Order: sequence, then C-alpha cells, then structure tokens
Amino acid sequence: MTSLLPWIALLLPLASMFVILLATRSLRTLSAFISVAAVLGSFVCSCLIFFQQTSAAAAICWIDLAPLFSVPLGLTLDPLSRSMLFMVTGVGAVIHIYSLGYMSADAGKSRYFAGLSLFMFAMLGIVLANNFVMMFIFWELVGVSSYLLIGHWFERPAAAEAAKKAFITNRIGDFGFMLGILMVWTGTGSLVFTEIAAGMAKLTAHPSYLTAAALLVFCGAVGKSAQFPLHVWLPDAMEGPTPVSALIHAATMVAAGVYMLVRVGFLIDASSGALHVIAWIGTITAVLAALMATQQNDIKRILAYSTLSQLGYMVMAVGLASGQAAMFHLFTHAAFKALLFLGAGSIIYMLHHEQDIWRMGGLAKRLPITFLTFLVGTLALIGFPGFSGFFSKDAILALAYERSLPIFAFAAFTALLTAFYMTRLVVVAFFGDARSPHAARGAESPIVMTLPLILLSVPAAIGGFGFFARNFLSLPNETKPVVAVPVIALLALLIGVVSALLLYRNRTTEPVEIELFRNRFYFDELYTALIKSTQGLLAAIAAFIDRWILDGAIVRGLSGGTWGSGFLLRLLQVGNLQAYGFLFGLGIIGLIYFTVFH
Amino acid sequence: MIPAPFLEIAVLTWGLILLMVDAFAGKTDRRGVAIAGILGLLVVLAASFFLTPPTPAAASGFWSFYTADPLAIFFKRFALVTTILVLVMAIDYAPAIRMGVPAANPHAGLGEFFTLPIFTCVGLMWMASAIDFVMIFVSLELVTMSFYVLVSFTRRNPATLEAGVKYLILSALSTGFLVYGITWIFGVTGETNLTQIGTVLATQEIDKIPLLFGIALVLVALGFKIAAVPFQIWVPDVYQGAPTPVTAFLSVGSKAAGFVVLLRVLTPFLMLPQVGRLLVGVAALTLIYGNFAALPQSNLKRLLAYSSIAHAGYLLIGVVTFSGAAVAYYLVAYLLMTLLCFAVLVVVGNSGGSDQIEDFAGLAKRSPFLAFAMLIGMISLAGVPFTAGFLGKFFIFDAAIRQHQTMLVVIGVITVGCGFYYYLKVVRAMYWLTPPADSQPVPLSALSRLTMTLLIAAIFVLGVYPQPILNALDQPAARATISMFR
Amino acid sequence: MVTLGDYLFVSGLLFTLGFAGVLLRRNLIIIFMSLELMLNAANLSLVAFSRFRTNSLGQPNYDGQVFVFFIITVAAAEVAVGLAIIVALYRARRTTHVEDINSLKF
Repeated sequence: MTSLLPWIALLLPLASMFVILLATRSLRTLSAFISVAAVLGSFVCSCLIFFQQTSAAAAICWIDLAPLFSVPLGLTLDPLSRSMLFMVTGVGAVIHIYSLGYMSADAGKSRYFAGLSLFMFAMLGIVLANNFVMMFIFWELVGVSSYLLIGHWFERPAAAEAAKKAFITNRIGDFGFMLGILMVWTGTGSLVFTEIAAGMAKLTAHPSYLTAAALLVFCGAVGKSAQFPLHVWLPDAMEGPTPVSALIHAATMVAAGVYMLVRVGFLIDASSGALHVIAWIGTITAVLAALMATQQNDIKRILAYSTLSQLGYMVMAVGLASGQAAMFHLFTHAAFKALLFLGAGSIIYMLHHEQDIWRMGGLAKRLPITFLTFLVGTLALIGFPGFSGFFSKDAILALAYERSLPIFAFAAFTALLTAFYMTRLVVVAFFGDARSPHAARGAESPIVMTLPLILLSVPAAIGGFGFFARNFLSLPNETKPVVAVPVIALLALLIGVVSALLLYRNRTTEPVEIELFRNRFYFDELYTALIKSTQGLLAAIAAFIDRWILDGAIVRGLSGGTWGSGFLLRLLQVGNLQAYGFLFGLGIIGLIYFTVFH
Repeated sequence: MIPAPFLEIAVLTWGLILLMVDAFAGKTDRRGVAIAGILGLLVVLAASFFLTPPTPAAASGFWSFYTADPLAIFFKRFALVTTILVLVMAIDYAPAIRMGVPAANPHAGLGEFFTLPIFTCVGLMWMASAIDFVMIFVSLELVTMSFYVLVSFTRRNPATLEAGVKYLILSALSTGFLVYGITWIFGVTGETNLTQIGTVLATQEIDKIPLLFGIALVLVALGFKIAAVPFQIWVPDVYQGAPTPVTAFLSVGSKAAGFVVLLRVLTPFLMLPQVGRLLVGVAALTLIYGNFAALPQSNLKRLLAYSSIAHAGYLLIGVVTFSGAAVAYYLVAYLLMTLLCFAVLVVVGNSGGSDQIEDFAGLAKRSPFLAFAMLIGMISLAGVPFTAGFLGKFFIFDAAIRQHQTMLVVIGVITVGCGFYYYLKVVRAMYWLTPPADSQPVPLSALSRLTMTLLIAAIFVLGVYPQPILNALDQPAARATISMFR
Repeated sequence: MVTLGDYLFVSGLLFTLGFAGVLLRRNLIIIFMSLELMLNAANLSLVAFSRFRTNSLGQPNYDGQVFVFFIITVAAAEVAVGLAIIVALYRARRTTHVEDINSLKF
C-alpha cells in the first residue's frame, strides 16, 4: 500500500482539474474547495511518505519494445524527492487556502483553480519523475500551466503578453534541454536517472561531449529558473494573480530548474567546465537582478527581482558543486519568498490593487499581522542572524569563499544589495505617512489570508536551525567554520540596512534615479530589437528561398514529378483481366530470377 | 480452460447454426442473424482469454500442423474483432444488398451475407495457427472461397460481378502457384511442416535452386494475398467493385492473415540471404506504387485500395526487419483505422449512392460526427502523432533504422509525405467544400455510432499507450517459440 | 526407366500450358479450365516426388499423396463456386468473353 501513496499524491490534483473542468465549472466555490481538498490530500500523502521514509514506488512501463525502445514511468522516492514533495505540497496547500480569500470575488475562479490543480500535478510529476522523458513531459506541462495562470486575466493585454513571453522564453530553454537529454541518451543508452548514474563512465570518456550535454541540460534550468540571459520573463510574470506569483514564480516552478540540476548532479559534477559556466551564470544573475531591484517601484517586481537574485544564489551553489547548499537555500527561500509574496498580496488586496510602493505608506499600524509576517520574511531574506535565510545564505557564501573568491565577492555584494532594497521596500511601504487615499483606508486582511501568512512565518523564522532542518535534508558539511564569512556577511547586511534607512526614511518620492537599473539594463529592449532585426532578415531570406527555389524548383518540380508518376502508375490498371495475368506473369518471372539466380 | 482448437469449432458450429436458421426463417428480419453472429463471436473472443497454455514439447499429431502460440492466439482475436466489426458494417449495408441481389423475397441473400463472414473468420483463425503447408493451403483456400462468394454478392451491380471474376481468376492463379511452390519445397526437403523444413535446411545438404524456385512461387501467392508489388494488380478493381463491408474485410482480415503466414513461412528460410534482399526490393516497390498511384484517385474506395497497398509496403518493412511486435502493432492500428474509414464509407455511400470523394463534400456540416470519425481515420492512416497509425509507423521505422535499412527508411518517409496529400484530400472535401443545396444529415444507427466511437477511442488510446498490444505477444509459456519475433 | 526428372518435366510443361491458357484464351470457362490444369500439374509433380523420395525402408513419402487429395478436394470446391460466379456473369452480361469485362480501370 505504501508504494501507491506517491501515485495518489500525484494524481489527486489531476483528478481535481478534470472534475472542475468537466463538471463544476459554473459552481465556483465548489471548484475552489475541490482544488483545495485535492492539494490537502496530496499534502497528507506527502506527510505519510515523509514520516514513513518510504523509498520505493510502483513503476509502470509505458512503452516496452525492448531491446529496441523502452520508456518506463516510475516514481523516485529518495530523501531529496521526499522533502521536495513535502515542501511543494505544503506550500501549495497554504497558497491554495490563501487563494480562497484572494480570488473570492473573481469571475474566473473555477478556471483559476483548475489551472492551480494542473500546476500541482505537473510540479509533483517533476519532483517524482525517475527518468528524463517523464521529467520533460511534466516540465512542459508546468510551462503550460504557468502560461495559463499568468494569463488568467487575459483581457488585459499586458497579462496576455506576459504569458506569451514566459512560455516562449521557457521554450527556448526547453529546446536546449531536449538536445541535452538526447545527447545523454545517445551517450549512455538510457533515460532513467539511476541507470544514467551507473553508466557515467561512458560519458566521462568523452569530456567535451559530456560538457556539451551538461550545458544543454542546464539550458532547461536557465529557462525555467529564469537565469541570465533568459531571465526576462519572470518580472513580467507578475501580471498574474499574486498567489500564482507566490506559488509558481517564487516557491516551486522556478525552483524546479534547481531541483532538476541537483537531481542530475552526477552528470553536472562530472564536468568542471560546465560547473564553471553554471556558477558564473548564477552569479551574474544574482548581481544583475539585485541591481535592478534597487530601482523598482512595484512591490511585486521588487520581489520578483529578489527571486531572480536568490535563484542566482542557488544556481551558483550548484555550480560550486554543492547541490546540498542549493537545496537548503531552495527550501528556506520557498518559505520566506512565498510568505513575502502572500504578504504583498494581502497589501494589494486590501488597498484595492495598489501595487506602487510610493503610493503606500504607514501600513505598519493599519495591517499589523501582515507587517509582522512581512518583517519576518524580510529578515529571513536578507540573512538576519537566527532566521532561516541566514543559515542557507551563509552556507553558500562559505562555499564561495572556499572555492572561488571572485564569486564570493560578488555574492557578498549581492547580499549587501539585497539588504538595501528589502529595507527600502519595508521602509517605504510600511513606515511614514500614508501617501494615497487607499493606503489611508487600508485594514487588515481576512483570516483566510492572514492564517497562511502566520503559518509560513514559522519555517521562515526557524527553518534554518540545524536540528530542524536536518530532518528535511542533508545539510552541507561544515568543514571548518571560517570566521571571515559570517563577519563579512553581517557587515554587508549592516551597510545595506543602514544606507537604505538613511536614504529612504521619511521620503515621499524616490530620491535616487538610476535609469540603467530602473530600465532593467535595457534587456527587454535589446531582445526586442534583436528579434526584430534577425527575424526581419531571416524572413526576407526565407521568402526569397521559398518563392524561387523551394516553391519553384523543388515543390512544383517534385509535385509535378510525383503527380506525373502517379498518373503513369495508375495507367497500369488497364481493366483487362488477361493483361493483369500478363503483368502477374512478368512479376513471377522477375521474382524467380531474383530469388534463384541472384 | 479451453483447448485452442475449440475456438474455431465453436465459431464454425455457430456459423452453421445461423445458416440453418436463415434457411428456415422465411420472412423474418435477418438483422437478427447478424446480431446473433456478433454475439457469438464476442463469446468466442471472451473464451480466447481462457485457453489452456500450450505445452511446448508436444509437436506431434494434431499439434504438428496446428499451433496455439501467442502469435496465433493474438491473430485469432484479431480475426474475431475484424469479423465483428465487418458484421456491424454489413448490417448498415443491408439496403444495398437488397438492391443488389435479384430475388422475390426481400430478405433473400441477407442471411448468407451475414453468415459467410463467420466462415471466413474460421478460415482466418486457422491460418493464424497453421504451421504446416497443407494446413496453410486448406485454410487459405477456405478464406479465399468465402471471399469469392462475398465479393460477387450483389449480382445486380455490374461492377461487382466484374470484380468477382477478376478476383476469382487471379486468386485461382495464385493458388496454382502456391501449390506448385509447395510441391517443389516438398520435393526438395521431403517435409511439409515448417519447423521440420527448417531442421532439414539446417542439417542436410539440399539442392538450392529448386528450393529457391519453390519458395519464390510460394511468395507469389502470399504476395497476392498481402497485395505486394508485383502482385497487387487485382486490388484496385476488386476493392472498388466489391460490396463495401467485403472490401473492408478483404483489406484488413485477408491482409493480416497473409502477413501471419508470411512471417511463419519465412522463419525456416531466414538463413537464405536472397530472400532478405528480395523482400527489401518488394517492400520498396510496394511503397512507391501504392502511394504514388493513389494521388490522382477520385473514388474513395479505390483510393483506400491503393492506400492498403501502401500499408502493405510499410508492413513489409517490418517483415524485412523481422520484428514481429512492430508488425503486430501496425496491423492492429491498421485494423482500427481502416475499419473506421470503411464504416463511415458504408453509411455515407448508402445515403449518397456512390463512393466518390465529391459525395463527401461538406459532410462536416451535414453530419459532424461522421466527418469527425472519417477525419480521425484519415489522420491515423497518414500517421499524425497521438494516433495509433503514428506509433505503428514509428515502431516500423525504428526497427528498420536499427537494422540499417536506410533505403527503405528514406523511401518510407517520402511516401508518408505523399500519403498526407491523398488522405487529407478527403478531409478537405469534408471540411472545406460546401455541401450541395439539398443535402441532409446522414442517418446513423446507434450500433454504428457506438462502434465508431469505440474505434476512435481505441485509435487515441493505442496512440498513447501501446503496451497492451506489445505485451500480447510476450507470454512466458511460449517465449522460445516467438523469441525470434521480438 | 522413367525417372523423376521426366515426371517433373511433364508436370512443368503442363503447368506452363495452363498458365499460357490463362493468359491467351478469351473464353472465361476455358481460362478456368486452364487454372485447373495448373493445379493438376502440381498434383502430378507431388505424386512423382512422393513416389521417388523414399524413406529408409524403401516406402514412398505418403505426405505428398495425401496432399494431392486435399488439392483435388479444394479444386472441386473452387470450381463449384467459380462456375457459379461465371454463370452469374453470363446471366448479367450475356458474354463470357474476357475482353468485355473491363469497366473497372485506372
């Protein structure tokens, strides 16, 4: 019976989606409750799996034409996937409950919950997959559900554009991912993770092939986890409802890239070239995103860039060959980032969808629970000693200090920036006087929204402590505690907090204007121009080839030729029986000749 | 637990009972006979899951010419399913039969039209189990003769009689070659049992030339049955002239049985390289002929005839690479999509009176369900992903690539492209052309609607999850026998 | 002494004559007769093989002769059905000329 639990956990959200789409579409509240019930069921299953330490799940074979071709469908239950399962369903359940409140008045509530259920199904599939094909299929499904949920309010052109952008950018990454999977398959002959790990010797014999394959697989993570240069979709994805941003674009989906990298860690760790590239891309992402965050005015965008930056930290950890540190940060980040987003959602909801921090202010008194929990999340994010983020970020910084000083420098600088912009956010949004009529009238959110905030603040606060976290994952080895690292980290924290406090206390408008950061380093404009110019050129070339060469010579020629030969062949059927017999005889003579005398 | 031979005996007895019922039934509605036939076949199909497992060692006496290995059981079920679906189509085709058979009694001929497929089914089931040339010959002749009658059934239709005579003469010709070929093989090896022929070829020194001559002639006859070039010349005319359910039956049942026999007959001769090269050439020519000649066709039945030649080409690629699982899966997919197309054709042809593609114009507006069914059938035949037809072609090409049959793969891929044109010609007529002004929805009985729905569902399900079919050939009891087919 | 080769030669000759008859004669019934001639040529050859391929005890291999009976039976059934079809064709078209039945083509 235990071996069926992961299947139940996986399939409950899928069943919920089908029920909502086919049966209860018009009964919005019922749909919502079905979805919540399904995810709670999955959470219960995950708890059972977690505490029973089940380690084998039933596997079924999808296509088995061995020795030609074999694709199994199996679920993997090692400590990594068990804890990830627990985290995904846990955070998912909390956010589902939160959505009950946030989306209570929305007309498309059924559609929203169906999308959420589809997402849960796909995400759990990624977590539980034991082979590349399964993971890829669920990978794509997660992209689809993200598209559907970002574009939930599709009547808004900005939302529709953002959904498209997310999907297309993801697709580019997925293309590289697919090539990487094909390379791994060709090299080792198998798609199952355990078998590939066992057969790594075949790949390590060809180092450049291995590096290429590892980097292509990493492409998938670049797309899904919004690393540089495919980071442009994540900030725009904030067009979706805030619970979606919390669940998908903070806690789970974007973490799927990091999870995947850790899952195939044996592949990536074997190639030092790939590790190098990965670490630097992570670092670049972390720094760039932090710089961009300092100048944003939309609360959700700040948090989005913060997510980008923290994802950069996780990828950096993977690149420094410590999947454990990356996963540690992934878990703590999931808790506090979801908390921050839900807190932001609470603000937005109570202020009638006001998202500009310069039009907030004085909310500390009006929304006390939101303020307190948001503060907890912020302290965790900036790495205040004692909170969860401190431990996980410290682990990564220690790694960087040990393995690569330039990366450590960048990471410490990013920590400074993180403290800076988060303090800026808290000071501007919560302190001072109300700067808009909405802010002046704001009140605390209903219990259905504040309860999840309180629930999430617990792991955000104490989740980093050894005795607590050790239950969940294998912590990175503490080799020799280097004093320099926490000192520098604390220093960065202090400088960041103090400078933000000094700069932003009692301000009513933005004092510093750095166009480069505010306009996100002009990446979007660059990409648009690039696409336009190359597309234009390619289109012109393609039109020429199409009209003259393809259409003229090849298509017309081929089709004329085929048509002509078809017509001729048809003429063989003359209708006369004896002619048929004659052709029969010719065939027989030919057959006998080729069999006997050749 | 039922011994395997009882299946055919049961079907045969049931057929005889129904024939007697028909002879003495007077003026009652003969559709009851068809329903009874379908039910009986369903019972036998269910019974085929409760057979006594074969004992591998016992290859003497009865079991020296009749085998119940997984391949045989699989094709027995295949034949039963085909016959059931053909009977469903025949019920719909009853008005055309009534018009085609000259007699005073309005029910004349209907009963026989419903019972003859049952006897054909018996023949197909025996062909699936035959491992001796004598048994192959007799069961093949049973099938062929039932088809002689079925093809010429609607005598009033001049095209039918012409098709019947052509089928008769050419089929009897191929039978003559079959017998002569068996004679030479017998003469050289002294055996008619296939496994014993294999033993003789492996252990003794035999005269190569007469043996090759014999096998060439046997391949002539089998090539006729499966419609491979250069013996496919009968297919377009006979398919066009025969009553539509019979065409469907010929297209699916006869071809499948032919392939089973081909696989079995080729097993002892695997060690001869000439046979392999010959098959490659035949497969290539069949692919080219079937697909190219279908391009200018405007009669849907004739188009499906050429397309069945083309599919024989794909199946021959599977035979060349000797991957029995791929061939079996492709045949199942072929059964589903061809019978679906013919089922729609029966209904639309009855209401419109002809089988031209123009009669399908605007079907999407007149009868959306029928148009959808035909659409699924056509795209599955063409090989669009997520349909059973795609996976069938995928497995065949996969097997061919692994055995480095590059030329076949290239030709196969080009012809798949060709195929899209003529299959989509029908789709275009249904969805993009305007219907004639006085057109009305095509009447569709509940049984046919159910059958078509099941076929559509099966095409999609098998297109995503092919494992049940691939597993059906892989049972532990007889692994040794069919291991060479994996 | 008549050898196996002689029988096979005659049977081959009959077979070829039969095939030539199918290709060249214009009356359907004669064509059918030629087909039967082909089958009988095979019968002859089978009996010859059976008689000359003796086993270790000097007995002929009776499998061939038994097969002949099967062929004769099947040929008879085939004739019954085939002639019925030809008669039906005659009733409908008033001809048994093979060149007249060519409406199905291309």
